[in-house]
Amino acid sequence: MSSKTTIYGFLFVGLAVTLALIVAPAVYAVSLSFYQMDSFIGAPKWAGLANYAAVLQAPEFWRALVNGAIYALGSIVFQVVLGIAFALVLNETFPGRNLVRGLSILPYLLPTVVVILTFKWMVDGGIGIVTKAVEAMGLPPINWFESPGAAMASTILVSVWMWTPFVTTCFLAALQTVPQSLYEAARVDGTTAVQRFFHITLPMLKPILTVVVLLRAIWMFNKFDVIWLLTRGGPVGATENLAVLSYRRAFNLFDIGGGAAIATISFALLSVAVLVYFRVFPLEDD
Amino acid sequence: MAEIRLEQVRKAYGGVVAVHGVDLTIHDGEFVVFLGPSGCGKSTTLRMIAGLEEVTAGTIRIGPRDVTELEPKDRNIAMVFQNYALYPHKTIYDNLAFGLRMRKMDRAEIDMRVQKAARMLGLEDFLARKPKQLSGGQMQRVALGRALVREPDVFLLDEPLSNLDAKLRVRMREEIARLHQDVGTSMVYVTHDQVEAMTLANRIVIMRDGHVQQIGAPLEVYDRPANLFVAGFIGSPEMNLIEGRVENGHFVAGSLRIALPPGVEASGEITLGIRPEHLALTAEADGVAFTVRVIEQLGAQTLCIGEAGGERLRILIDRVDGWSPGQSIGVRFPAARLHLFAKSSGRRIATAKQ
Repeated sequence: MSSKTTIYGFLFVGLAVTLALIVAPAVYAVSLSFYQMDSFIGAPKWAGLANYAAVLQAPEFWRALVNGAIYALGSIVFQVVLGIAFALVLNETFPGRNLVRGLSILPYLLPTVVVILTFKWMVDGGIGIVTKAVEAMGLPPINWFESPGAAMASTILVSVWMWTPFVTTCFLAALQTVPQSLYEAARVDGTTAVQRFFHITLPMLKPILTVVVLLRAIWMFNKFDVIWLLTRGGPVGATENLAVLSYRRAFNLFDIGGGAAIATISFALLSVAVLVYFRVFPLEDD
Repeated sequence: MAEIRLEQVRKAYGGVVAVHGVDLTIHDGEFVVFLGPSGCGKSTTLRMIAGLEEVTAGTIRIGPRDVTELEPKDRNIAMVFQNYALYPHKTIYDNLAFGLRMRKMDRAEIDMRVQKAARMLGLEDFLARKPKQLSGGQMQRVALGRALVREPDVFLLDEPLSNLDAKLRVRMREEIARLHQDVGTSMVYVTHDQVEAMTLANRIVIMRDGHVQQIGAPLEVYDRPANLFVAGFIGSPEMNLIEGRVENGHFVAGSLRIALPPGVEASGEITLGIRPEHLALTAEADGVAFTVRVIEQLGAQTLCIGEAGGERLRILIDRVDGWSPGQSIGVRFPAARLHLFAKSSGRRIATAKQ
């Protein structure tokens, strides 16, 4: 086989998979948003932009958008700050470092369901270890899933718990590429440890920081499983984001066109956000 | 400007001793080169002077101050690193100014010093650039400039030229020598390249396995190496070293028999050394028979490698053309040029002339 045939062969397979599994479903989903459908069995009725009009007029859409933004922002900030902090600690030499490094990635390896169940047990009103601890400290019990603020906090908490290891791993890898002599030069130049962090570590981490924040932002904004398993978007929509709303609308309320319209808007918003982000933080460094 | 004094400075990592008690005084304005093979402790010693490496035992003084326990920033030293260690995200100007800003120096004073250093090093056109946009030689100049603007008591340079190609290395060597003449500040310079050491140093400190082997001016260590290690390490091509013994005022090894200078107090087993450039060629009947095996043309000179009396010899002579391997010629060992070393300790044996 000539190299040209090989190239086209690989290209064809890649394109076919992309078309079948990414482009086609996306186009299908977007097209659904222009029809009125209450099931996948009956014939869809053309609805034009009616679904969009309905969705944008519903207060729950705007609430879900704000919720999603709070959830995404909150969990990214904590993931990044804690991720850098843990990476700095794990980058130091101490006995048992490799073991701790290995263990620290564990939460990321657990299936979401397991993490959610563990968290629910920990905060269980009767037997939860967190509940008992709160009790022992003489504090009033926390209604993890009943109070809107606490419910949002718990979704963020669980997400930070699950994905900080990913951020830590990225930063730890980046930290190991920073030449030690830069820190030595900075020590000779008269910097304190804090100044070295801001003048060397952080700028050296900037490229990876840009990518990690972007990835986390996309994943967090589209997050479905954590919220659905933990709160189902409740109480009364307090933790519902666009992904959950779209699902609920399509599969619980049987408004498939409306659900598709929400998903399409969410996709468009995210695309614009990513474009703006790349404009502000270009990937290639100067 | 200050004198640097090392007193019994020692460094151990756990049970492994990297530097055994070094005693050394570096005079104000002196250019001292630490020379030795890798792992000899030269960089560790420099880093202890810088404060980047803790001292296990001993005292380091810069001027009147005991700096043994001080942080690098409090020692008033500046350092140039092998890989330059320029801050990659800062411009050249900011790289030069950084250490001064951290010391809260006045803006106008910083600017004056940066511009002055940039002028001295020919960096005026690059101040707005980032390190990545410079060549290796330019980056090395920035690293020198960063040390220069600080106006420190002493410059510490850790193999500053080893990342450069051979041609640039020679040019930067000249620049460093000129810089030292211009600013007159003490410099301590680490290298494994004996040519750098010979050309730059006021004094060379030759180290091996954490021990100082010899301290002396370049020609002093060339003329009178203190032991076998120094004899083999200094000089290029390497000194010829022949193991043998003393018999009736002669050195004997195999069928070689070389007259020793009168008054040498040596007996038994010794090692005789003679530099390739000090062996003299003569008519075959007048000297020891030497058979040429390999001829290396160096341009101005010719290096003949061959055998005399069963011993391998290198002879460096003014250029000769048309010789071929297998050629025989006579070689003389001028008595005044012989170096003698005790075989057991490797130490130099004094000859009457010295």
